Amino acid sequence: MADSPETDAIIKKEPEGPAPDPIVSRSTSGILLICALLLSAVLAWALYDEIYGQRPWKSMQQEFVKRENRLLRRLRQNAGKTEKEIKESPEYQQLAAEAKAERDKIAPRQKEIDARVKVIEDQLSSITDNYQNVRGAITVNYYEIETAHGKSEQDKIRQEIEESKQEKHAIEWPIGDGSGKVEKRQLNYMEMEQQYNGLKDEKARLLAERGELLKKPGELEKAREEYLKNNVTGLTTEQINSLLKRNESFNFSMRQVNVQGDTLVDRCETCHLGVREPLNITAADMRPVRDRRLRKADELSRAFVSHPNKELLTIHNPDRFGCSSCHGGNGRATTNEEKGHGRHRFWLHPLYERENMEAGCQQCHMSDRELLGANVLNLGKDLFQNRGCVGCHRYEGFDRESDALANARQSISQLEEQIAANEREAKQATEGVGQAANEDAVQKLLARSEYLRVTNSQLAARISQLETQSKYLMHDQKKVGPNLKDVRLKLRKEWIPIWLENPQAFRPGTKMPTYWRIDGKSMRSDEAGQREEMSREVNERKAIAAFLWQQGFDGKLPGMQAGDASHGKELFETRGCMACHSIGDKAQGTEVGGDFAANLTRVGEKASFDYIVRWIYNPRERWAPYCPKEKRDLTREDYEKKGLPFVFDTEHSTCPNDGAELQIQNMTVMPNFRLSESDSRDIATYLFSLSHRDSYPDASYMDDPALKEQGQNLVKQYGCAGCHEIRGFEEEQRIGKELTTEGSTPIERLDFAMLTHDAELGINPHSERREGEGEKFTDPQTGKVKPWYNHKGFFTNKLRDPSVYDKGKEKEPKDLLRMPQPFLKPEWNVALTTFLLGSKGLEGSNVPQSFFYRPDTRQKDIQDGWWVIKKYNCMGCHNVQVGQKSVLSGLPKYQDSDWKDQLPPQLTSEGARVDPDWLLRFLRDPSLSDSEGRPEPGRSDKTVGPTPGAQTNNYAEGTQKSGQTNQTNQTNGASQPAANAQPPSTPLAQRIEGHLKPQPGQDRNGVRTYLKARMPTFNFSPNELRTLVRFFMAVSSQPEIYIKEKQEPLSEEEKILARQLFTSRGAPCLKCHITGEAEHDKTASAPNFLLASERLKPSWTFRWLLDPQQISPGTAMPSGLFKLDGERWVFSGETPAGFANYHKDHADLLVRYMFQMTADEQRRLMSTSPAATGGQSPAPTEKETPAANQQVSRNYSRRNNARRRVMAAHRLAAARRAHARLQKPSRMHQRAKLARE
Amino acid sequence: MAKGKLLTPGRIMLLVIVLLLVVLGFFVEDWHQLWVISSTPDNVPIVAMIPLVIFFTWLGARQAAANDRLVEELEGDTQLAKTHHRKTTPWRPGWARELHVWPFLVRIEFLAAVIVTIILFVWSITLNAPLEEPANPNLTMNPSKAPWYFLGLQEMLVYFDPWIAGVVMPSLMMVGLMVFPYVDSNPLGNGYYAYRQRRFALWMFGLGWFTWLVLIFIGTFIRGPGWVWFWPGQRWDHNVVVNDRNVDLHDKFAGWTGLKFLSANPGKFIFGAIVVGTFFLLCGLFLHWLMLRPQFEWRRMFSWQYLKQWARSKGEFESKLLARTSILQYLTFQFFAITVLFALPAKLILRLAMNIKYVWVTPWFNI
Repeated sequence: MADSPETDAIIKKEPEGPAPDPIVSRSTSGILLICALLLSAVLAWALYDEIYGQRPWKSMQQEFVKRENRLLRRLRQNAGKTEKEIKESPEYQQLAAEAKAERDKIAPRQKEIDARVKVIEDQLSSITDNYQNVRGAITVNYYEIETAHGKSEQDKIRQEIEESKQEKHAIEWPIGDGSGKVEKRQLNYMEMEQQYNGLKDEKARLLAERGELLKKPGELEKAREEYLKNNVTGLTTEQINSLLKRNESFNFSMRQVNVQGDTLVDRCETCHLGVREPLNITAADMRPVRDRRLRKADELSRAFVSHPNKELLTIHNPDRFGCSSCHGGNGRATTNEEKGHGRHRFWLHPLYERENMEAGCQQCHMSDRELLGANVLNLGKDLFQNRGCVGCHRYEGFDRESDALANARQSISQLEEQIAANEREAKQATEGVGQAANEDAVQKLLARSEYLRVTNSQLAARISQLETQSKYLMHDQKKVGPNLKDVRLKLRKEWIPIWLENPQAFRPGTKMPTYWRIDGKSMRSDEAGQREEMSREVNERKAIAAFLWQQGFDGKLPGMQAGDASHGKELFETRGCMACHSIGDKAQGTEVGGDFAANLTRVGEKASFDYIVRWIYNPRERWAPYCPKEKRDLTREDYEKKGLPFVFDTEHSTCPNDGAELQIQNMTVMPNFRLSESDSRDIATYLFSLSHRDSYPDASYMDDPALKEQGQNLVKQYGCAGCHEIRGFEEEQRIGKELTTEGSTPIERLDFAMLTHDAELGINPHSERREGEGEKFTDPQTGKVKPWYNHKGFFTNKLRDPSVYDKGKEKEPKDLLRMPQPFLKPEWNVALTTFLLGSKGLEGSNVPQSFFYRPDTRQKDIQDGWWVIKKYNCMGCHNVQVGQKSVLSGLPKYQDSDWKDQLPPQLTSEGARVDPDWLLRFLRDPSLSDSEGRPEPGRSDKTVGPTPGAQTNNYAEGTQKSGQTNQTNQTNGASQPAANAQPPSTPLAQRIEGHLKPQPGQDRNGVRTYLKARMPTFNFSPNELRTLVRFFMAVSSQPEIYIKEKQEPLSEEEKILARQLFTSRGAPCLKCHITGEAEHDKTASAPNFLLASERLKPSWTFRWLLDPQQISPGTAMPSGLFKLDGERWVFSGETPAGFANYHKDHADLLVRYMFQMTADEQRRLMSTSPAATGGQSPAPTEKETPAANQQVSRNYSRRNNARRRVMAAHRLAAARRAHARLQKPSRMHQRAKLARE
Repeated sequence: MAKGKLLTPGRIMLLVIVLLLVVLGFFVEDWHQLWVISSTPDNVPIVAMIPLVIFFTWLGARQAAANDRLVEELEGDTQLAKTHHRKTTPWRPGWARELHVWPFLVRIEFLAAVIVTIILFVWSITLNAPLEEPANPNLTMNPSKAPWYFLGLQEMLVYFDPWIAGVVMPSLMMVGLMVFPYVDSNPLGNGYYAYRQRRFALWMFGLGWFTWLVLIFIGTFIRGPGWVWFWPGQRWDHNVVVNDRNVDLHDKFAGWTGLKFLSANPGKFIFGAIVVGTFFLLCGLFLHWLMLRPQFEWRRMFSWQYLKQWARSKGEFESKLLARTSILQYLTFQFFAITVLFALPAKLILRLAMNIKYVWVTPWFNI
């Protein structure tokens, strides 16, 4: 470009000048070139960044396709292959060899055990009959004693018992050397019992050892099967080919799920491509393609796996829910892992760590106490409730009774205020009539006052409703710890300070947390000794002990004789105590039993024997009633002032002073086992025999009134009343923070105190360290340092050491963190952390609120029911849920097949089985006693006497003496009206001082009288009863409104036919089913038919008769009793002659007969039945008749034959499989076979 | 630059900076903290500002020095001075007297645009916008910091009432900047770097500019959680507890002297007015004295004699300039210069060093 002439002129003007113009003369092209090149390079960089740098998922997708193709090709080789061919592959062979080697290794020992068990079984069977006969006879004798009239008769029977115990029995004792030889022995009952128990114990031990041995090979075999399963994909070649084809033209693009419009946008599947693939992809399958030698899964291969629980995905379809709603994380982000997983410090919903995965469930399923499949979360909830967290920390839904009670009380007081205000207004209106100006105004005023009065009566009705509710709520209110008002009665004085010092030392694993500061340490343990004033804190423990001691009820317990410890041991192990309690030393690994309640090994060291007997006898009985209105415990004087007897129970639960609803039960969940007094003594004796009393240092300071006030302040400070009932602290509020939305607390609001910096650097706060240095938390997989400045880190470390955030703080002792040190296993810590992480509340949740689980009526019933079931630990004894194992079923004792029959019934289909009305009555009183406390199993009328709760609590008077009153001799119980409530059959003379009050329904099980484990009386309130019944009905999908099915009455001929069938050799029903006759019942092990009409549902009974194994696998009831003959079911055994002309359904006939069974009818049957007195067992059912092969669906209805046929056809294949499973004959069948041989 | 000389001013500067950094290093307790602040994407411009400011200041100073030399040459060459009108602007024989925008200006601008584009590209590829916590009306972030260009304003809030710091002072600054051309009676030094021709203006502007930079620096590196003063390298502890008890000057004065009436309403008003008035008066006198001084020879700054002589003598050029300035221009300049350039740093020092809350308390405003 030519310059303008002017410029040229300027330049030319001074051509020879010494200094050319720096601007004009200088060329910028060099620098321009460099800049242009740079710009181009940067532009290229920007393009690359745009296409790949910001879209790392593209290369991931390519990698995925590569790896999946390899997997698919491998699978295609196997796709045609049968299982057999895969089994021949070297990989499989190697796995199989490993498993076999392990199995061979244990084989000798296993053989040894099996041989020994065989011998034991032989020996057992040689004495079992004799032993059980005598035991049965003695049991009958006991019963006779109890019902006998007169002492002489009783003594006579006692004599008989003694004789039968001493009587020698000839036993053919297998010597067990393998030769099959027997030696003759003469044994009496005691010796037999000893042998019997000894052998049983040994057998249980051996079986447990065997189980342990089999674990390792079992795992290896599982790995082998896993390999097989992974290689037999279940995909056909075509399916695999179509997947490969898809991969050929793979659509490399963003995969996005929009949840609810765009509330959540999840692009997780952009990288996690395998999540929903139709085949099962593991990390090992997706290991790097090039990396053949290492065979090591890298990070990418872990990202490509398919979802481990496909079933969950069908419930929570990712198209609807997305991923991040459950897992957390930032679903939108695709630029890198840190952002996508929401690990950025400001992202509110970081991806839950693997072990805390189930926190995501809690967001929507907050009100579910038990969530299928979320075991960690469930454990967290269990711990939160059972370990007493809820004592200090409110959490919505937990401890609902206390919350509801507070609400009800508030509403009542509001309503009362409103009533008073209305009344005032009405009065003013009426008075205003006099001054009214005209007729109109008068009318208006009168109408107004009338309206107000009507309103008031409505309000009053509402109040009375609320009062009833509060009554129930108060009834259901429970505390985690024992009632400390009873310490004087219950505990050894010197033991209390020892316990307070370190509960874990006395009873490892106890719920009681350690208050480390009480232990003479004002500061954290690692800083102890740095401060001078800490020595004064030693007094804290003394002061608390003194306060509790002086605040307790005083009185004298009925003195108790020691009982029979061995009988007590048997009772303890068989009645069901161990579903909640454990025995043995945790440290030595000998602990056996449930962990719902305390380990009782050392109870003898601390408690008073008399109190424990009284407690075992009836734990709900309170020493003195508590009036919430006056806020104090009532004394005998309160009652005497009003001229009332000192009686408090469900019938006498109003305060004599102001009519308020009284607290008359201990706030414990421990139920009443309806044990006899002597049994209670035996159990207590057994427990006391487990330990011996140490002597403890003198604790006379506990009577020092000077310590009381300090103690009171400390009890308040430490929030003891959260878990314990303490006098004067009944209305105490929780001292901890509410945790309902703890998981969504902004991180800035979590006080890491001096550890913020350490947390950011990942320094372990629990390690001993110098300032600013220390051991760091590292990721076990990658070895990277893991900072813990996040919610998880806060919760985990706080739970591990609740005082950790006091570290390095300079605080007054009273300002220190108050949370005590709980006993938490590492997995418990994880569970609780998971629970807290998921506790996000409505606002803090990642999930749109419309996704929250808000169940309909039936699901709601289930949800509500779980709270009650968990509260009382029903799952300690029963299987409530399919797949769940009760605590009892895991105990060594019940591993024995003989004892398996003694397990309490499974409740998985309870709702379908029983009549809800009956269930309600049964739950109210499991002994099914009548109003007088006598057993009455066949009662058909629905009149229920005073609730058993009324009776079980009705012996507050008598021997006890209330707190501060002087002793009054209470032998004269007859002078009190309450005596009327006592069963009249109890002679008043027996109720002398030193005896406990009679126990209604004592020693009785309502349904399964043959069970040793006893369904205890829980004293449910009507609220809880209803909740439970609705729960069982809902779980079994029963219609909400229950209408009893009408039964077609039996004609006379039908009756005769039914009788014949009932007593035929093919179906000796009465052999196993109890009848109420003691002699017969000792061998019977099935419920009484008299109960059927009330208890069962006919439709269920019909299904049950057809195939009990399907409804309750492992039941002793034989299957295949009926075969399908055209449209009807006929008896598959030998049919009595009269049936030739009978064309109706046989099973239906039996059901109708059963439901119309009366006691007379049963007696009549008994007299004719050969089976009832020990005839042949039911007909063999393994005959290969087509009908026996035909399985019966649970959904069968007798009335829907067409449907039945269709379904029978549809389910044929399934049935075949099920049948194969059932080929293993039940014990009953085995016996039958043996008998035939 | 003289050859063989070991210590040139540039090297000395460099040495001082290195020494300062080393000394600072001894006081740094937490390098990580320092790194976190410096590496926050928000703070990148400010971190970059430190070397850039130094570099461009140096560059400008170098250019100014070169031009000063040229002007001196021109003035020394009487021949050229007579024939040539460019006696007061840097010029050399052979140089163009006037240049066309195209291509001479545009190509440089173009180059600058390319370089800036490159920088922006690299910056935007390598550093993403910072992701911070979601807005939560119930929870203010801590420390809650304005973008870097407003940090100076935010920092001013520490020293003044919001009304003063947020409205009055910024307005004064901006109006002051706008007024600048109108109160400037110096025809020289426009359009090229020069020092001698605009010494006073440069120093004054530099002072204000430096103050502003310092405020931004404080806001970025010094103010931590709770807007508490943390030295660079000190850990930003969220649990930090400080006890700042700021007292009004009149209360302090009343405390010293025991004159209780100073704490009462009209008393403190009058007291404050006197103090502020005095301050303005003294600053005005000082400025007047300063703007008439001749050029300072830094080489002789350690000579007491020279200092005395310099303080007494009047610059010829400066006197001429003052004579060209109208009284209105002069007072306007004085007002803005004192409020912005002296009052602001003075208050800063009073608050930081002496915990003075207000100097002048009136029912309408507090300063």
